[in-house]
Amino acid sequence: MLAAMTAAASIAATTKKVVTKTVTGPQAVADRWGYVEVVLVVKKTTTTIGTHKKVTRKIINVTAPIYPNHTGRSIFINQQAIPLLTQEVLTMTKFNPNIELVGGATATSYAFAQSLQAALIAAKKF
Amino acid sequence: MHRVEHVMGMPIVVAVRDGDVPDEVFDWFRHVDATFSTYKGDSEISRIRRGELAIEDASDEVRRVLGRCDELREETSGFFDIDAVDGDPSGFVKGWSVDEAAAILDRAGFEEYAINAGGDIRVRGTWLIGIQHPLEPQALAKEVEGTDLAVATSGAYERGEHVRDPHSGHAPAGILSVTITGPDLGTADAYATAAFAMGGHRAPNWTAHLRGYEAMTILTDGRVLCTPGFQSVE
Repeated sequence: MLAAMTAAASIAATTKKVVTKTVTGPQAVADRWGYVEVVLVVKKTTTTIGTHKKVTRKIINVTAPIYPNHTGRSIFINQQAIPLLTQEVLTMTKFNPNIELVGGATATSYAFAQSLQAALIAAKKF
Repeated sequence: MHRVEHVMGMPIVVAVRDGDVPDEVFDWFRHVDATFSTYKGDSEISRIRRGELAIEDASDEVRRVLGRCDELREETSGFFDIDAVDGDPSGFVKGWSVDEAAAILDRAGFEEYAINAGGDIRVRGTWLIGIQHPLEPQALAKEVEGTDLAVATSGAYERGEHVRDPHSGHAPAGILSVTITGPDLGTADAYATAAFAMGGHRAPNWTAHLRGYEAMTILTDGRVLCTPGFQSVE
């Protein structure tokens, strides 16, 4: 009974709040080409467990409504480049057993073993 | 069925979903090694580098490869430059030879295959590809579901041949790796090498301007920058 009440109390004390906000950067000089203004859409998640508060932010969209366009060349380049690059943080994932091939810059005997491992995994599916 | 052989100083894995990998594919890679290797004194490339063979007198395929390397130098503002490495075209030959091997498999009627040449990949059909983490070789940084795609990676953890900025001669700063995806592995490989040589300050913006190719740049501060069309698996 006491355990059940404690569990109920801790569940009640956990709250999660998600807010999405658009953040506009200052207009910045892009060398001699003109100005760039970047707009980010950021999702902020606030998780409160008891008195402990954890905040995570994730960029969910990046656009540049103002960008250099005073020459044909830079219009062309920027139409290619917009929307800009997406950004995230480097994470590590363990080898997923469904991975069929492993790419990378290493070509040592270690990579050989990895390639072989991936090939063997793939081979099991054939 | 898959076959693995050590050719051109690296493991080459060829996998097909139906049938057997034809001998012709590995015969081709051995032919490329004999023609382009800088470790073999009698290869055409070694003879050209020693000044014993004029480029005009070289075989059609050697002239085509060197011609494409010249174009790639222009396309990369000089950041992919085989003259900076004494005329060694290895940085292009690896990917190009895989593209030609893919053409052999196409002609033989294979519709689902994958070729992995020392970490540079070309697939036909849909395959799940892991991109090695640049700091933790046991882990992956990204998963990519590739259909009819080439995937090339250049990084600081590459064997021996440390990529340098051909303009400054320095090792690039602020960057861990660049992965390029697109239709053609030779081009993707040269773009990855060039972007890596540019360093973390310049590479991401440069990759955003590529036509027909997508990129993932990993910086030393842990940021991963992808072009919008980079097809990673969530």
